[in-house]
Amino acid sequence: MEQILDVTQSLIEYTTLICITGVAASVIILLYRAIKGPTNPDRAVALDIIGINLMALAGLIAILLVTTKFNDVILLIGILLFIGTVALAKFLEKGVIIERDMD
Amino acid sequence: MSNLAALPIILPLLAGIVVAFIHKKTKIVRILSQVISVVNLIAVAWVFLQVQQNGSIILETGGWAAPYGIILVGDLLSMTLVLTTNIIAVACVFFAPQSLSKHQEEYYFYSFFFLLVAGVSGAFLTGDLFNLFVFFEVLLMASYGLIVLGNGKVQLRESIKYVLINLFSSMLFVTTIAFLYSVVGTVNMAQIAVRVQEVEQQGILTTIGILFFFVFATKAAVFPLYYWLPRPYISPNPVVSALFGALLTKVGIYSILRTFTLMFNQDVQLTHTLFIYLAALTMLFGVIGALSTHNVKLIIAYNIIPAVGFMLMGIGIFSEVSISGTIYYLVHDMIIKGALFLLVGALVYVAGTSDLRKMGGLIHHHPVLGWMFFMASLVLAGIPPFSGFIGKLLLLRGGLAQDELMIVIVALISSLLILFSMIRIFIRGFWGEKTENPYPERKRKAAKMAWPVAILLSFSVLLGVGAEWFYPTIQSIAEYLMDPQIYIDSVLKE
Amino acid sequence: MTRTNDIILRTTTTLIAFILLGFSIYLFFAGHNKPGGGFIGGLMTSAAFVLMYMAYGFRSLQKILPINFRFVIPVGLIIAVATGIGSFIFGEPFLSQTFAYFQLPVLGKTELATALLFDLGVYLTVIGVTMTIILTIANDRGEER
Repeated sequence: MEQILDVTQSLIEYTTLICITGVAASVIILLYRAIKGPTNPDRAVALDIIGINLMALAGLIAILLVTTKFNDVILLIGILLFIGTVALAKFLEKGVIIERDMD
Repeated sequence: MSNLAALPIILPLLAGIVVAFIHKKTKIVRILSQVISVVNLIAVAWVFLQVQQNGSIILETGGWAAPYGIILVGDLLSMTLVLTTNIIAVACVFFAPQSLSKHQEEYYFYSFFFLLVAGVSGAFLTGDLFNLFVFFEVLLMASYGLIVLGNGKVQLRESIKYVLINLFSSMLFVTTIAFLYSVVGTVNMAQIAVRVQEVEQQGILTTIGILFFFVFATKAAVFPLYYWLPRPYISPNPVVSALFGALLTKVGIYSILRTFTLMFNQDVQLTHTLFIYLAALTMLFGVIGALSTHNVKLIIAYNIIPAVGFMLMGIGIFSEVSISGTIYYLVHDMIIKGALFLLVGALVYVAGTSDLRKMGGLIHHHPVLGWMFFMASLVLAGIPPFSGFIGKLLLLRGGLAQDELMIVIVALISSLLILFSMIRIFIRGFWGEKTENPYPERKRKAAKMAWPVAILLSFSVLLGVGAEWFYPTIQSIAEYLMDPQIYIDSVLKE
Repeated sequence: MTRTNDIILRTTTTLIAFILLGFSIYLFFAGHNKPGGGFIGGLMTSAAFVLMYMAYGFRSLQKILPINFRFVIPVGLIIAVATGIGSFIFGEPFLSQTFAYFQLPVLGKTELATALLFDLGVYLTVIGVTMTIILTIANDRGEER
């Protein structure tokens, strides 16, 4: 019984580590897209996914450190990301983020 | 009574906030700011006397004891500099209505002004390295506000340069504090001073010390890092230039003085020798800059740099006499730089141009302004009996006592060249044939501009003529700085 | 080409803005002894405001929220500084704080600390500064067009 518990413990740890490496690698690749990105929509999507990956990273680190302190942080990144994406989308669509007068 | 140490920070901060509420009512704001800054000066002078009689005032904010909480240390050095800062602030606040436009006054000039004074006083008073960074940010934030005030095109270009260089050095500052924290495990200056003696690898401390020097040297405009200074300093309004020229670089010098007497004094051979060479180069290059231009404002702005060199020289020589010379020069230079920037602002206003080649004969129309400028140049160059002379005398005596002949010769040459560059303004701008007064209607306003400068100049003369009276205080500060143990004991109370 | 509209954005904004405001209040109160506080709470509130500005435009929001954000900055600052100075009256060092437990009607036994007032000042200042910056930049662009 003890042994099985140990195995699951280490299993979680290794899985988290592998996931962190994968997510980190994808952030780097996305960074390339965000800088190079032939068009602006490419950059917007890349930035959006970088944010999602950041949330994933924070969650994985929370698992690794066995803490709930990061939950607020994840929520926070999510909200800022949402607003950022909306702003970017609106800029691409209309060229203005906050309009003076709507309809 | 330890709350007195926070007084020089809180009063201007409150004033700035109150003034921000009623920023549209220019007349009330003007009078209110003048009253508050005079009250503040009186309060600070009183605290200064308290400190002089009873020793340093130490405030542990929030009641947290010294190595853990943030502390404010009002020792004699800090209070002297805070007092000088407030003298300049009073002169500037009385000069401001004459030179600012209504629009600029409305756009929170006085709020930013008080915030700047609070930040500078805070940087002088804090006893915590991270808190020093915070107050640097406060004063920088205020200076960003002041430098774009009036948003001319040139001004915006220069302010971007200014903001970028300061952001970079702030970033480096935080990183360096993090390095130091990882070595000694504290940010309290007194405790750092204790712990650095226990650290086994002194090499890493020297490295961190040099990094700190780099950060402060960027603010203070020491030789390789002075390139950014002159132009951003002359692009805003003369009042703002005076505040910047008198206060900001001096905060950098104060930080070098504090950190390198208190904390990083292990490898004096290396660091302080470096200072001496850099001081020599700073003086030479600053003076060359001042001689290279015909723009009056630029000449004054370049004259900040050799003064920084003089002060750094005192720290580099690192003896009691030379440190007291540095402190004397620091106080003198703050006052005279404020006066000079204001004077040049008035000069440019009455002449209508800042190009020296287009001026001439102004002394016939503005005799008071002209003779005041002549006196200010003598003070700056260090002609006896004015205050520059006493500071330089102490520095040179310190240099000769330590056999640093090279720096003494460079200092003498550069003082001569400073005098030359200043007298050039006097001869070209004020002297000469009597010409038609270009703007006769500006005479009354120029007279109003003259008297705040006269206050500053009289302080400067007092500092020189009454040297006997001031010297004991300065000397006791120097003794205090050379023995870090006094500071440590007073803060940690062991 | 059909005219674009923001129907999805507007519908979700009504919901999400309230979630954001609630979260910001949670963060503000959590700040006493957990991660959070006035700064991040203020940022969240201004995020909610920005979202509403994006969905409904400048003019209609000025009608709903007639706040001059430039005025909020000094209000927040004076609250923060006043709590620091308040300790002078009681002869304590600058910025001292105290706390006590109270029996409140709904919440039961609650800890109330004076540090909360300082945080309130920070909260208002952050909202003021953030909104001033964002609206100034946004307006500038609007005028150019």
